[in-house]
Amino acid sequence: MESHDNQLAEELAKLPHEPLLPVEKKLIAGSLILGLALLGILVWLSYTFFPLGN
Amino acid sequence: MKLPRTEDVWALWIGLLIFALSLGNLARLDLLGWAVDARVWVEWSKALGPTSATYGLPSVAGLALMFGFLLAILSAGARVLGYPAGRFALGFTLVFWISYACWLLGHNAYIAATPRERADLGISWSLGLTGEAGYIVALIAGLTLGNFFPRSVAAMQEAVRPEWYIKAAIVVLGGSLGVKAAADTRLTEAILFRGLAAIIEAYLIYWAVIYFIARKFFGFSREWAAPLASGISICGVSAAIATGAAIRARPIVPIMVSSLVVIFSVVELLVLPFAARAFLVDEPMVASAWMGLAVKTDGAAVASGQITESLIRTAAEQQGMNIPAGPMLMTTTTVKVFIDLFIGVWAFILAIIWVYRVDPKPGERVSPLEIWQRLPKFVLGYFLTFAVMLYCALNWRDVGADLQAASRQGDIFRKLFFVMTFFTIGLVSNFKKLWQEGIGRLALVYAVGLFGFVIWVGLLISWLFFQGAHEVFTR
Repeated sequence: MESHDNQLAEELAKLPHEPLLPVEKKLIAGSLILGLALLGILVWLSYTFFPLGN
Repeated sequence: MKLPRTEDVWALWIGLLIFALSLGNLARLDLLGWAVDARVWVEWSKALGPTSATYGLPSVAGLALMFGFLLAILSAGARVLGYPAGRFALGFTLVFWISYACWLLGHNAYIAATPRERADLGISWSLGLTGEAGYIVALIAGLTLGNFFPRSVAAMQEAVRPEWYIKAAIVVLGGSLGVKAAADTRLTEAILFRGLAAIIEAYLIYWAVIYFIARKFFGFSREWAAPLASGISICGVSAAIATGAAIRARPIVPIMVSSLVVIFSVVELLVLPFAARAFLVDEPMVASAWMGLAVKTDGAAVASGQITESLIRTAAEQQGMNIPAGPMLMTTTTVKVFIDLFIGVWAFILAIIWVYRVDPKPGERVSPLEIWQRLPKFVLGYFLTFAVMLYCALNWRDVGADLQAASRQGDIFRKLFFVMTFFTIGLVSNFKKLWQEGIGRLALVYAVGLFGFVIWVGLLISWLFFQGAHEVFTR
């Protein structure tokens, strides 16, 4: 187990550089854009249709 | 469809069994009336009390029956799951009695009594932490044994299963919250919708940012960054494992991430509820949603919600504000189980992107069945018990007292599972792991992601969806 841990430690210390692929960039950007767009809609829906004292 | 033999499924069965037994009250069958509950005490002899007058048993006998009952049903589960029966029984015996001792200690009047209770108990001061202080005592006991006396943990190893205990507890908790939800259905609908909205935001914003930070600034490979992002941003252990499987990572990757998740969850559990009491007494529902969004792992999140509810209710009481028991914990739990509900969907989306776009391999396909396979089944139990009790409470008004009795009895076992969760989380939180060579980089990205981003964005999202919601209690 200890040697396994050492191998992992070594691997983590020497991770090869993997540049961000276009599909990863799209995933990150798409997720954030969708999140920010939905934020406004969901807040509006919450306060309009599910009011809670406010 | 055949259910897999996993801890998750057995947590569902165990939770449903306790829930079903508690429902005996509706047919005037007091099937769990032998159980005992802890009381705030000054003298040890008054630390336990019966939950029902049906059986007239001494409290110690009731406690022994509770132990025997849980040992029997958990051992049955352990047998099916292939754990060594003898070692499980020994381990569970230690876990149960140490946890319960902590639970009772936490009910000591000088620790637990609220200012209002002091006069009745004949004491002049107390920390006012309520009986839930027992959870903190159990956590500290677990941390002490796990980090300073690791050999003592070896004897309990087979029964050190915090995720199993908390999942069973959450199934039972659904019933209890269902009864409370019936008191204000508008509040319940709002909590459900806003909880769902909050986690949609958390998924979309948290994951993308943490993945980007891990890849761009810490140089992690895709195989490490994806489980790490899910572990930090979504729901700890379950999400890291589901994501690891979805992107076809080596099993060791989510395991390493999970070991960090547990350690950081404990830090959050020890800090965030007290931070919420210090800064969010005026916004209790924000505090509760925050626990669900910020604290990772089911155990630590729901446990944080429970402690936050206790701390804030006591603090609010001192300010003349009455917050009923239930809505706060319901908010934390709802947020958490919604997060769990979507783990399978998120893992499915990642699997599609990885298999077809990031790392395509000839002949490899993704089946929609993966959503079902990765769905934690205990969340179905939570929604089922919640819906059954809510339906009964709304439609059968004449059995209200029986439903309350059923809820109280189920709650005794739920609290017991909670305290065992706290104790065993402490046992598995090995802080020495942070000093292990090579893991420092993982720990650093985890710390930066969690304390530099997730906690604050979680607070912002909670505030956006739940600020001012407590006014529903005071109008």
